[in-house]
Amino acid sequence: MMELIGEILKLMVLSGLALAGVLVILIWKKGLATKVTYLRFLVQAVSMVAIFYLFTYPVWQLIILIVIFVLPLFIGRFFCGWICPFALIMDAITLIRKTVKVRYRLLPDKLNKFLHNLRYVLFLVFLIIPVALYLLDPPSSFDTSFLLAMLLSGPFEPWRILVGPLIPLIVPWEGPLAISGVYFSYPYVQEVILYSEVVFSELIVNIIAWVFVGLTFVGSFFVRRVWCRFCPTGASIAVVNRFKGFKWAPMLHIDKDEEKCTKCGICKRVCPVQVTEVYDQKGGKITTSMCTLCTRCVEMCPYEDCLKLKMGGKTVFKSRNWLEPSTIE
Amino acid sequence: MKSQSEEKKYMPELSEKEVEELRKAITDTSQRVVAENIEKMKKADQNRPEAMNYFDEIADFAQREKEIRAAKKEGKKVIGYMCLHAPTELILAADAIPVRVNSGWYDASKLGDRIVPVEVCPMVRSTIGAKMIALSPYLELSDALISVLTCDAMTKLGEILSDYTPVWAMTVPRVKDSAQSIRLWNEEIKAIKAQIEALTGNTIKGKQLKSAIERTQKATKAFRRLQDLRKGPPVIMGRDAMLVNQTYMWDDIDRWTEKTEALCDELEKRVSQKNWVCPTDTPRVMITGTPMIWPDNWKVPTLVEEANPQGILVADELCSSERLLYDPVGVDEWSISDMLNAIGERYLMASTCPCFTSEDGNEDRINWLLTKIKDWNIQGVIYYVVRGCMLYAMEYTRVKKVLDRNNIPVYYLDTEYTREDVGQMKTRVEAFLEMLSARIDI
Repeated sequence: MMELIGEILKLMVLSGLALAGVLVILIWKKGLATKVTYLRFLVQAVSMVAIFYLFTYPVWQLIILIVIFVLPLFIGRFFCGWICPFALIMDAITLIRKTVKVRYRLLPDKLNKFLHNLRYVLFLVFLIIPVALYLLDPPSSFDTSFLLAMLLSGPFEPWRILVGPLIPLIVPWEGPLAISGVYFSYPYVQEVILYSEVVFSELIVNIIAWVFVGLTFVGSFFVRRVWCRFCPTGASIAVVNRFKGFKWAPMLHIDKDEEKCTKCGICKRVCPVQVTEVYDQKGGKITTSMCTLCTRCVEMCPYEDCLKLKMGGKTVFKSRNWLEPSTIE
Repeated sequence: MKSQSEEKKYMPELSEKEVEELRKAITDTSQRVVAENIEKMKKADQNRPEAMNYFDEIADFAQREKEIRAAKKEGKKVIGYMCLHAPTELILAADAIPVRVNSGWYDASKLGDRIVPVEVCPMVRSTIGAKMIALSPYLELSDALISVLTCDAMTKLGEILSDYTPVWAMTVPRVKDSAQSIRLWNEEIKAIKAQIEALTGNTIKGKQLKSAIERTQKATKAFRRLQDLRKGPPVIMGRDAMLVNQTYMWDDIDRWTEKTEALCDELEKRVSQKNWVCPTDTPRVMITGTPMIWPDNWKVPTLVEEANPQGILVADELCSSERLLYDPVGVDEWSISDMLNAIGERYLMASTCPCFTSEDGNEDRINWLLTKIKDWNIQGVIYYVVRGCMLYAMEYTRVKKVLDRNNIPVYYLDTEYTREDVGQMKTRVEAFLEMLSARIDI
């Protein structure tokens, strides 16, 4: 059964990647610019399958860590907007919300900024805990390799925090939730179980896990991309664009032409993570570590050439006179 | 709602006979002026696009008046609005007819003098005058008016007109760029929605609102297509294009879209044939400033395009023309609350009216003017202000500084609602155009 699914998935990955390639070329020719949201869904779905496939390799942890640390150097949080499986899950929940016509809630700007900074703290805390554990129970002699081992795969496994959001819905390993031989998981659930097992009994651990799933579900139902606001993985990625010396590094960024802008406010309203810089900034490169480069603002901006997604100085995709009544729900 | 017997707050008691006499005199002039202006436009362009015939017809008020009357008999309501900040999508969604009721009659402004002093904006005085003698069919047919309190004159205009028709005022915040402003404005939009629903008896549901937004987006698309065609060498006279834009204020939106698309098709053919309306080195002029309303207040565009040397209007930044429809409502999610938010933002944030202020000095309008100058290849700007229009007059200095820096000549043309100064204005406009052509030759 698993082999069959694996084979099917392999085929899906191949065909999906080919399709994505074709679509990217079409976008390059600016023909499909009206369907960016669809394209994003497609890329996300293909990446989710690809990540599942990646997990079947024995050295997947290493590969994924390299992917998480190296890729963002060049594409920045494009990773969050277009590849991350947790984002796909949240976007799917948003689709459900849209079909039942419930209005999303906005987080207050201050809270949003606070959460944005909080994720660096979360990120650091998870890195410090293993060291602290090591210090609390020091081995007889100081051992660097032991500390390194604690950091990477000790009882606390901090790398899990980074990989957490990349866990797709269907996983190739044995998990607690299985339906006819296919194992299901959810981002971070394994980590939540792992960490709460230390203290609580099995029943409470299960309850905590389900509460976590429920909270993120409800949260992303009412607030668009709720996890992206304080995701520690996002923090590790965004660190690159956060500091001045590194601003040259990301190849992708959003560019704004001040003179074309009438400040109609559409970019601010449609942004799923409530970035205000695209609206506030006068023009030029919009670099903010909050932006996931989902390009929804570029898609919805009604002024030709006002917003652009640039890749190493070249315009990949720009706002245009979109007035064909949008088919995107 | 006020009862009829209630005493009038502003309007003088005119005897029936007096009103009749005044109306007759002014209506006659009005009809003559409409015919004259259309005649002039036809003469200016011997080879006028055929699709313009429709707009000539609709520019004559009588035909549309008949249609609206028929629709009213069937139970449709008519809602007038006096400013482009009024959310027409909501009116359309409630199955009512939106018409813009600002008046452009010169003679009516003299009647308005009986109520407000002559220092007041002549467009407002003219609207008051038109109401006194029932001159404007759209103003008469309106079951209610939406008055957006943008400038001082507009604020009191609504009050004065409420002697006759229910007037719904909408407070527009003077600072666009703040969270509390948009909150207030969104509340205003919701309140106006409730009022429209109460008047028409139709509840505005998501489906109707979506269709209204999409119809308006289609109109915007046609509208932008027309303006984009004017970016190249002149393929249509500026006055013709302005008339097309202006008829949107009272025409049926779907028919208007269709006819405008037809006009654009015709113009595109002309572009491919390189069939220009005037020599391509004619100075390209943009008008910005106080709104110009059909039929009477047509003298400046006429002067520019009939002057010697001739100029061509390729763009304008008037709220009676190119600002009417240029900005679309951008909806993120088609739920009713999000649509209302989108409508609210479109009618507040996208506007470049000088009634707004910001710490960077109404940068939105300046930027938009510069974009227009660049994209439409403008060689000179006429800053048109009627006496009494404080906001546009005061912002002139700022605009002039920026345009000087960009090496674009700008000419301040101040005038009144009168035909008497046409002679001297002609001299002024011609001197400006002379200078522009000299610059082009160099």
